[in-house]
Amino acid sequence: MLVVPLFGLIIVLYALPVINILWLGVSEPELGIQNYKLLFTKSSLVKILWTTIRVCLITTLCSVVIGYLIAYSMVHLVGREQNWMLTLVLISFWISVLVRAFSWLTLLGRNGLLNAALVSSGLSEEPINMIRNEFGVLIGMIHYMVPYAVLPLLANMQGIDHRIMDASRSLGAGSLQTFLKIYLPLTKPGVIASSLLVFIISLGFYVTPALLGGGRVLMVAEYVSVQILITVQWGLAAMLATLLLSGVFALLYIMSRFMKIGEIFGARP
Amino acid sequence: MQDKMFFKDLAYTGAKDFKSGKMGRRDFLYLCALAGVATSSVIAGDAEAAANEIVLWNWGGDAVKCHTSAFGADFTKESGLPVKYDTTGPMQGKIKEMVNSGNVTADVADADAFDAIALGKSGHLEKIDYSVVDKKKVLKGFAWDYGVSIIFYGYAFMYDTKKFKSNPPSTWADFFNTKKYPGKRSLYKWANGALEGALMADGVSKDKVYPMDLDRAINKIKSIKSDTIFWGSGSEAQQMIVNGEVSMGMVWLNRAKAVEEDTNGRYRLNMNEAIAMPGAYLVPKGNPAGRANVMKFIASCQVAERQIEILRCHGMTPSNPEAFGMIPDDLKRFAVTSEENLSRVLLNDPIWWAENIGPALNKYLEAIG
Repeated sequence: MLVVPLFGLIIVLYALPVINILWLGVSEPELGIQNYKLLFTKSSLVKILWTTIRVCLITTLCSVVIGYLIAYSMVHLVGREQNWMLTLVLISFWISVLVRAFSWLTLLGRNGLLNAALVSSGLSEEPINMIRNEFGVLIGMIHYMVPYAVLPLLANMQGIDHRIMDASRSLGAGSLQTFLKIYLPLTKPGVIASSLLVFIISLGFYVTPALLGGGRVLMVAEYVSVQILITVQWGLAAMLATLLLSGVFALLYIMSRFMKIGEIFGARP
Repeated sequence: MQDKMFFKDLAYTGAKDFKSGKMGRRDFLYLCALAGVATSSVIAGDAEAAANEIVLWNWGGDAVKCHTSAFGADFTKESGLPVKYDTTGPMQGKIKEMVNSGNVTADVADADAFDAIALGKSGHLEKIDYSVVDKKKVLKGFAWDYGVSIIFYGYAFMYDTKKFKSNPPSTWADFFNTKKYPGKRSLYKWANGALEGALMADGVSKDKVYPMDLDRAINKIKSIKSDTIFWGSGSEAQQMIVNGEVSMGMVWLNRAKAVEEDTNGRYRLNMNEAIAMPGAYLVPKGNPAGRANVMKFIASCQVAERQIEILRCHGMTPSNPEAFGMIPDDLKRFAVTSEENLSRVLLNDPIWWAENIGPALNKYLEAIG
């Protein structure tokens, strides 16, 4: 019974505003599904959605590969070294997204540190455009998402019994074979969990694409904000927000068919 | 922080309800205590204190300092009403939301003229009272039913004097000519000014820019798209130039002086064909201080000397013709309404923008993405 007020709080503060958004999507500017029809008639919307999905997929792939390498080396270190690595991962985890975006601007800009070094050393004649484009957005997003990829993987890898690998080696399997046939399958839940986490968080990215994309990488979150604040087309914005939300739920549902979602995010069975 | 804002909002509406008799005294006192505001005035028996002030909704940063030195301090001296600030930026969507929610916490917003026209039409604003606010103290054509221009801001481009020493660019046609003037460009990300610049570059004369031929403007923008980066805030525009990312960059005029100083004069402002944007002071419907008070405030911002102070402090150009002749010599070059500039700038048409901002902005975003 004690959870009833909490439940009420969630309904009032969370469910009602979300329902309101769903409602705006079919009631602004007039009742009907005209906003959803735009998805089929307005090619720009499809382009924005595709940009968002493409950027998020590449971010997810790279972050999880890098995160896997980091987590793998961390579980194979002991004591102090492991703590040091964890501290470094967490420090970058805590630095604000704005600070990180501006740091990349300073490092990778046309007159930034890296370009200055490349040009003065003669490795490149012209400064390379590393930011203010999709490549810059990807660098910023992957850098932001790596810690999110590391943490679920680390938790998963720490739970693996290392005697299994010893058993595999003693039965004659080489190191590569042991990794591919034993270790990798055992870390599958971790890989799925971190991919899911990274992808879902990436979908809502706003600041990084806005700053590092130079205005040319328009993702859904920024587009929604423009439609709410500047053009005041709330129906269109609500429709896209609804689409994003249902996309996330659909992903979680598909995953739940294959595994227990609660366990991925740390709930004990 | 969020909580404090929330309670402050509550107290403001509470004061209104208390005044109109919808809320009991005890509830209001309780609310004030929660919010930590105005308790002293409540004890003194002045329960309306929370509502008896002018809240100016602006964009933060230097605006607070400059609005105080130019407008706020003098108004408080004259009327006894304190001027407070909401610095969250009165974007059209936010103003609409505030009025729709019935919880209006701002009295006057330092917004765009096209916002005043669009929101006036949709019934979200109070009418400007021209028996208090003086139409003669506004450049002709820039006082509307639901908003009045106090200042102009504007868009213009700056160029690298080192790169283009012998033949400096002076028109939008030069800006869009990347063959004759090689190098990167920067434009505003949300279409304003960029579309006008593109049309002038394409050979449209200043008086024919409005109503805008969107497709023509977009095509021109596309022609330099691969050489152009886009900025969303004034500081970003400034940074792109100061960091040497572009050889010509569009800026908000109020930033131009700082950029020239930051680059030791390497980048110079070109005022020819600059686009003058009328800002508008507008009043959200049902503002807490009441219509009479806020009209007095707006009228007090029309005083020529005060408008010169806002130019000096914030780089915003006066809209009161009396002030045009008073612009100090060192600022004349940066002011859209100074004698030397007024005839060569393009005056933005907020009525066109109010009607077309949705399609114009979305087409533009589609083109640059």
